Amino acid sequence: MRSVPILRAVLLSAQGLTRTYRLGTQMVTGISEASLSLDAGEFAVLAGPSGSGKTTLLNCLGLLDTPDSGTLVFEGRDVSGLSDKERARVRRERLGFVFQNSQLIPVLTAEENVSLALWIREYSDAESKSRAREALAAVGLGGMEDRKPDALSGGQRQRVAVARAIVGKPALILADEPTASLDSETSRKLLDLFDALHTKLGVTFLFSSHDPRMIERAARRIDLLDGKIVSDRIVREAA
Amino acid sequence: MNRWQRLSALNLMRHRRRTLLTGSIVVVGFVAVTMTAGFVSQTFSSLRKATIRGTGGHLKLVDPQAFGKTDDEAAGILLTNWPEIDQVVRKDPRVIQAMPKLQFFGLVSKGEKSAAYLGTGTVPALEKQVSLTTDAIASGTFFENPEGDEVMLGTGLARAIGATAGDLVTVMTTTPEGGLNAQDATVVAVMQYPIKELDDRLLYMPYNVAARLLSAEGKASSVVVLLRGDDVDDVDRAGKDIGAALKASGHPVVVRTWLETAAFYKQVRMLYISIFFFMGLVLSTVVILAVANTMTMSVFERTREIGTLLALGMERGTVRRLFVFEGFLLALVGCVVGTILSLLLREALNASGIMLPPPPGGTKGNLLHVDFIPSAYGIGFAVMSVTLLLASLWPARRASRLNPVEALSHV
Repeated sequence: MRSVPILRAVLLSAQGLTRTYRLGTQMVTGISEASLSLDAGEFAVLAGPSGSGKTTLLNCLGLLDTPDSGTLVFEGRDVSGLSDKERARVRRERLGFVFQNSQLIPVLTAEENVSLALWIREYSDAESKSRAREALAAVGLGGMEDRKPDALSGGQRQRVAVARAIVGKPALILADEPTASLDSETSRKLLDLFDALHTKLGVTFLFSSHDPRMIERAARRIDLLDGKIVSDRIVREAA
Repeated sequence: MNRWQRLSALNLMRHRRRTLLTGSIVVVGFVAVTMTAGFVSQTFSSLRKATIRGTGGHLKLVDPQAFGKTDDEAAGILLTNWPEIDQVVRKDPRVIQAMPKLQFFGLVSKGEKSAAYLGTGTVPALEKQVSLTTDAIASGTFFENPEGDEVMLGTGLARAIGATAGDLVTVMTTTPEGGLNAQDATVVAVMQYPIKELDDRLLYMPYNVAARLLSAEGKASSVVVLLRGDDVDDVDRAGKDIGAALKASGHPVVVRTWLETAAFYKQVRMLYISIFFFMGLVLSTVVILAVANTMTMSVFERTREIGTLLALGMERGTVRRLFVFEGFLLALVGCVVGTILSLLLREALNASGIMLPPPPGGTKGNLLHVDFIPSAYGIGFAVMSVTLLLASLWPARRASRLNPVEALSHV
């Protein structure tokens, strides 16, 4: 099925993840027996139609949700049974998130929104500011530090969200349908940015999408259907 | 202000109109607490003065044998040689004056009509300085001649016997030894006493005349001592010192402070405190409901943001503190604005010249005056802070317990 580059360290390994949830009176399976392994430096996509389980799997891998069964090892540590507090610590220190609708805090400026990820880690104001400015420059938003989200375009807001995800230098960035609310040109630019960050900074990306144009940009493609991983393959050699 | 407190402040400013409305409830609550405290304090002060004046002084000295007995039983038990007691008492620098009083009762007649009275023999010059009766004269003039065969009657008593100022009446009583005695006297004044039961029986007579009537020259039912200050602790201390000095000089007495004998004052005070407490409770409930509603709406509207913060790894405790601090900030700003408003309103009311009706048991209305009670401002702030913290606790707890996945997908 898949071949994993031999020299890369395994960053994340999931075995038999199953997550069901209640929808009204019915139990719905989000993911079933999902197993995958992700190496450091990969640029992978979870592909599949709506309702295929992409978001559920991303939430489980990102320690936002707890699977009903299965094990999850992250950076060599079994994180399946961590307490809520410990999961929060892993999220803030080792993971970065880009959400579908940027999810910026409207009362904060772009710089403060990026700093937020560092404030949570109790960085000093000076350090947060300096690193937030660097991150904004890296996503091409230098000079827009003082703008609030409502003064930014949709694409710019997503870039701020990306800057917020990379500012803490996480081991893995998880992006759930990051281009879903963007037009195709802006989507392309955002994927260019992902690509560039992956290539230049070696950031590991795992994003979900159902848009073929976005999916083809990934080096590895993991297809889901009805909550199951149906294929997992390297589609191009990662940088 | 740290970064999270700043975020709380920014979030409060997000819905200015809503924050303003909730804040104004806090302001009104704070102003109500401080103004009521100031008004109640002034009422207590007037009532205290009225009570002390009603008794004639801060301390009442009675014979130890009369202590604890009813008026009837104590009627025959008199302090002997009150001038000596007076001398000892006056040595204390805290004393303004000491005044003998003779309590007696009997019948007062005018023509065919008679009525029972409760009589007080007092020194006109001293009584005039302190007593409520000076304010209560309805007709005639306050008696001034210490040797004059004169009486002042309550309006109820005067009406009962058909007497008016200038009429001649006969005052009959029994002496401590049991003999019957009578004295003709001119009604020099009719007084309107605020308590009807007393007004229907009240009779004042110069001490010397009453002493002759009772064959009790140099004796007194009690000696009433007026002190320079009203402070309860100071009065207690002075009472103990004076009691000790009298005992040392061979005049053992029981000293009772005005507060010990002022059941009415204590009842009114308790009533006011109860009203104040109840009003505070209602206000706090209104503020709690208003703020809890605002905060709950805020949590609901910001569910996705809370989800983002949790997803980024913010501790649930920090999320809780964000909302609790919003509540505290509302209290802080509300109390600062409330203080300014309260002080301005106080100045305006104190300058308004509005006359208030007499306090309970008083005879004379007072100018509206709202006292400045610093502790009320402190308590107001504490009450508002605790109230708003309580009001924001539940919404804050709800926010901190959100599931990040559900919160992020909240619509």
